[in-house]
Amino acid sequence: MNTSGTPQNVHEQIVALLPRLRRFARNLTRNPHDADDVVQIAVERALTRLDQWRSDARLDSWMFKIVRNAWIDELRSRGRRDKIFTTAEAGDNIGADSMASQTELLSVQSAMARLPEEQREAVGLVLVEGLPYREAAEVLDVPIGTLTSRLARGRQALQAMLGAEAETT
Amino acid sequence: MTISDETLMAYADGELDLAAREAVESALREDPQIEKRLAQHRALRQQVQTAYSAELAEDVPERLLAAAKGAASKQGSRVVNLQDLRSPIGRNTSLARPWRSRWQTAGAIAASLALGVGLGFFMWGRTESMLVRSADGALLAGGQLAEVLSAQLAAEQSPGSSVRIGLSFLAKSGDYCRAFALSGALSTSGLACRHGEEWQVQALIQAADGKGGNPEYRTAGSALSPAIIQAVEGQIAGEPLDEAAERAARRRDWKAGVR
Repeated sequence: MNTSGTPQNVHEQIVALLPRLRRFARNLTRNPHDADDVVQIAVERALTRLDQWRSDARLDSWMFKIVRNAWIDELRSRGRRDKIFTTAEAGDNIGADSMASQTELLSVQSAMARLPEEQREAVGLVLVEGLPYREAAEVLDVPIGTLTSRLARGRQALQAMLGAEAETT
Repeated sequence: MTISDETLMAYADGELDLAAREAVESALREDPQIEKRLAQHRALRQQVQTAYSAELAEDVPERLLAAAKGAASKQGSRVVNLQDLRSPIGRNTSLARPWRSRWQTAGAIAASLALGVGLGFFMWGRTESMLVRSADGALLAGGQLAEVLSAQLAAEQSPGSSVRIGLSFLAKSGDYCRAFALSGALSTSGLACRHGEEWQVQALIQAADGKGGNPEYRTAGSALSPAIIQAVEGQIAGEPLDEAAERAARRRDWKAGVR
């Protein structure tokens, strides 16, 4: 990935990242509307803080972190009043219409939505977004060992929820 | 040789250094059980990636593209927009006094929306064709919204209409105001007041959960956003119009001065 950039093409790079930012935000928020709002806030924030982005750093990791922080801020400002627990429904709606094979694919997403937040973030960054461990740990502000143990637990839980499917595929 | 699950997982993720990789590979050759566990990790990884790949092909909403291009224009940003709604009002000294005080109320509402909503849910891409900005910066109803506000009686609307009228009332300022909702996945509701030949939009909010799609708030106020209810309560003089009063107001083209 090309991470060096003049301010000019940073905009283009962010545009290119939007689908992934939305996907990550949906995993985070488990609500597509919240996800888009969080992405918008994060993008606006990022553009005002471009000077804080080290050009040797990956833009995607940096943006994921801003998205995550925007969501944390939002949860805080909601006073966790309506922190969404109901997510089966929201999770099932995500991207439902664009899926080729709904039954199988939905089960992955709804299984993801049932993971504890820490595991969901770890799985989302590493397995879904394909970030290296080091980058994912950086986004989450945790040591690498913490990341890998969350990732391992998340995987085990997913495996259990998805049953033997993964074995036979 | 035993290989921990985390090590095997890291191997599947391509995260091991050469020495650790070689250790795993030699264990793999000796123990079919390890190979089976590795296959599970790989299959799960594949399954998750496949399940999430479709989301990348979805269209990105215009407001996000605009934000990324740094063109988070006045049209694009929900909070800024509500503040815009307020700012020209404070400045415009040519407004008659009753208008001014009423607009200050609207300003307070706008500010409370901007603050209270936190994350707003305004999708301007869809609604902006129904909203136009006047020369002095006020937000006015346009297009279909303006037509429906002027012509539609709440009692006679069809359920499928994309603009729905809620309650109508005479405001303390002496103008007619009508609550409305725009249908969609995320339902926008708002309050517009008739001023001269225009419908001025005083408050606008988009429902967080899409439950506002069928706004039966004419009597109960249930589906109407609390911020809009607050706006109505702040401005209403007396009771909402009943059907006959609505019809009479429409006959006068919503010009309150014409009695």
